Amino acid sequence: MKSRLAATGVLVLAAWALPYGLGSYTVHVVNIALIYALLALGMGLAMGVSGQINLAQVAFFGVGAYAVAILTTHYGHGFWLSALLAVLATVVTGLFVGVPALRMQSHYLGIVTLGLALGFINWITNAHLTGGADGISGIPVPTLPGVDLSSEYLYYYLEVVVFALALLFGLFVVHTSLGRRLRAMRDDALAAGAMGAEIPFLRMTAFLLASLYGGLAGVLYSGLIRYVAPETFSIGNMFILLAMVIIGGRRSLVGCVVGAVGLTMVREWLSDFSTYAQLGYGVVVVAMVVFAPTGLAGVPARLRTLYARRRAQQPSRAELRPFTPYTVEERSGPDGVLLSVEGVTQQFRGLRALDEVTLAVHRGEIRGVVGPNGSGKTTLFNVISGFYRATAGTVRFADADTTAARPYTLSLTGLARTFQNLRLFGQLTVRENILVALDRTRAHTIWQYALWQPGVLARERRLRARADDILERYGLVDFAEADPSSLPYGIQRRIEIARAMAARPRLLLLDEPAAGLNGEEVQQLIRIVRSIRDSGTTVILIEHNMGLVMSLCEKVTVLSSGKVIAEGTPQEVVSTPEVIEAYLGDSDPAELGLDTPRSAARPEHAQEATP
Amino acid sequence: MQDTLQTLVGGLSLGAVYALVAMGFSLVYRTMGLVNFAHADIAMIGAYTASTFYLTSELPFAVAMVVAIVITGAIGLVIERVLRPLENKDFDLMLIGTIGFGIVLQALAVIIWGTTGRAVPSPLHSAPLDVLGIRVRTYDLLVMAVAALAVVGLAFFLSRTKRGAAMQAVAMDHEAATAVGIDVGRSNALAFAIGAGLAALAGGLVGPMLYVDASLGGALGIKGFAAAMLGGFGSIHGAVVGGIAIGVLDSYAAGHFQGYSVLVTFLVFTAAIMIRPTGIFGERTVSRA
Repeated sequence: MKSRLAATGVLVLAAWALPYGLGSYTVHVVNIALIYALLALGMGLAMGVSGQINLAQVAFFGVGAYAVAILTTHYGHGFWLSALLAVLATVVTGLFVGVPALRMQSHYLGIVTLGLALGFINWITNAHLTGGADGISGIPVPTLPGVDLSSEYLYYYLEVVVFALALLFGLFVVHTSLGRRLRAMRDDALAAGAMGAEIPFLRMTAFLLASLYGGLAGVLYSGLIRYVAPETFSIGNMFILLAMVIIGGRRSLVGCVVGAVGLTMVREWLSDFSTYAQLGYGVVVVAMVVFAPTGLAGVPARLRTLYARRRAQQPSRAELRPFTPYTVEERSGPDGVLLSVEGVTQQFRGLRALDEVTLAVHRGEIRGVVGPNGSGKTTLFNVISGFYRATAGTVRFADADTTAARPYTLSLTGLARTFQNLRLFGQLTVRENILVALDRTRAHTIWQYALWQPGVLARERRLRARADDILERYGLVDFAEADPSSLPYGIQRRIEIARAMAARPRLLLLDEPAAGLNGEEVQQLIRIVRSIRDSGTTVILIEHNMGLVMSLCEKVTVLSSGKVIAEGTPQEVVSTPEVIEAYLGDSDPAELGLDTPRSAARPEHAQEATP
Repeated sequence: MQDTLQTLVGGLSLGAVYALVAMGFSLVYRTMGLVNFAHADIAMIGAYTASTFYLTSELPFAVAMVVAIVITGAIGLVIERVLRPLENKDFDLMLIGTIGFGIVLQALAVIIWGTTGRAVPSPLHSAPLDVLGIRVRTYDLLVMAVAALAVVGLAFFLSRTKRGAAMQAVAMDHEAATAVGIDVGRSNALAFAIGAGLAALAGGLVGPMLYVDASLGGALGIKGFAAAMLGGFGSIHGAVVGGIAIGVLDSYAAGHFQGYSVLVTFLVFTAAIMIRPTGIFGERTVSRA
């Protein structure tokens, strides 16, 4: 803490002293670099942190700069009022550009945002209002009492203050609740939705942040240069901005700043050979994505792992500790139906994955869902948890019709799930994975980020304390800071359950929780699931491990070709002829290592004969 | 009516070029899941090389085109080789990698051919035809014919030849394709080379229609991408329909909104793609749990 404070002190001092050692031209370059750094921060927040490919950042920059130019020169408003309105205009533009992100992602989004940026450039080069290709000159000098901002030296201080605040705010966002959700969305939007992250809202937030930073940069640019023209906001500059973010490291805000400042300097230094410089950036970007995808910011971490591997130190002390059972909750309230699926059909073009499935799960039950591969088990889970909208039929959860509910709404009303092929957030630590699910605050509390930051920090502390409890309970303390994908499979499965339970669900859906686990791990899993039920959470699990289903579930539903073919206690179910035929084939159940079903194996008279 | 039809004809020939760009783009996308942002700049290089061999070396137009296709095909092979470590891994990184290549190609074009562009004269000198009062330039007809041939040729290659079938298999499931003994790397390289060749064809053909300079790729490319998206990513006939749709939309926008045609085109495009993100013939989308 002390060293961090000292480092900040040194940085502040250096930022304060910097202009004293520089010529007027160099200060100008530094001022430009800071503006690009602001732009890169916005780009990093949208692309690196939130995973939204945004190729319209340069247009946000342009909207900010042009709005100031138009408001001051055409309408005669003061600089600061214009600046405020300009930032607002940029944010509105950002939200507009972000709308397509609700419907499409990745390269689709890249092309649409790039197209919209081109449209903006087309407008400014042709419109009368924007002065066409000549641009707008004569933007007034921003006034500040006692400070002459026409001096680039003094303007530097204005920029440094804005930039520092913007960087701090960005870091604050990234490392607290909102940023964690954004990063979770980047790593796996589906899983993030299932953990209660309101995905559409978060996508818009990403664009809001990108445009906020773009707008600020535009305002500072117009105040510094006092002239705007279309060539500053070209697609070429968009790609240079992209190069800055990639070279610096898109996932680290500090990396984005380093990339922006560094590349602006290099660009200035090579301005006589600009084409060769451009060739250089292109080559460096390609080399970066192939050899150092995390950018310059990722280099220290890569060196550290390399060093650790060289020394071959194995942190063997880390181990999966035993699970501490939950305290048994006296069941309160009626044992009514918690989840009911009524006549649900799911059609995928020609394939009917679910065919009028009806089932009801009572509070406090452990229900098994079994069936051959492709019988529609996971599809059923996807319908229940809101990933698919059923073609026909209704799903009712906790006395409400949830057929059309989104995954995050369901999560917030108390439904949690795990995934068949592990969907942990790969770039988040184990602790952060838990924190994402723990965080039950609704997205609209985001106003706190703008107006009451201490509230965010207080909530963060509470969440961390609870995350520690969960890590402790599930025996994951040693892996709290680990990257989940580096851990053994069994531990990842345990983390998934811990993460789902962190949301304190009323109903937990486990999709093949025992897949890939060894015998001992399966026994642990049985203890965990029992304890989860005893704590008051109803459990439905899909499983192929019949031993586990037999010993754990009170009631089993058997699916085959999308239809429910049997339902009852495990013993009843395995003796149903349809099940034997569909699920076990026509081989003898005893050969499959199952408990021999009484009625099927023993004739009535034999049973009577034995006392 | 007359005006409308005249715009339509203009849109069709430009649309044929966009369709060629979109086709190359879609071919690469369906085979290796790569959105090649350098595709447009490959088309620009194609336009420059074709015009250089046609104007400076005074080769016949068709021969100049073939040379351009071969050269850009080679560039395609280089790009594929460099980005191969990322294939089927990180989608967004590959995308950015191709943007990097685009920057490189643009810089190279400026270094080789300078910043001033060039106008390429049409290789056909016959007077425009007059069909029912609509003027149809013979060159436009040539462009449409070549594009149609390319569509038929590509469809034949994909459905009737062994290599084409292998490429389809890789597109469906690259792991299963490896398991049955298809060399996925070679198949991808071939797809990339063909894609680049189609880009060069588009670039070479557009030379006499537009002004050739280093920024040609930007104009051609984004509309080509938009065409691919509108038709449905990865679908070959979708690319054709999308290309023509964008060409016609573009030519109407130019007629009615003059300077703001790009803005209008992209606003309409964005609205269309919002309504149907998978495009007209798109299928594979929605990620599964």
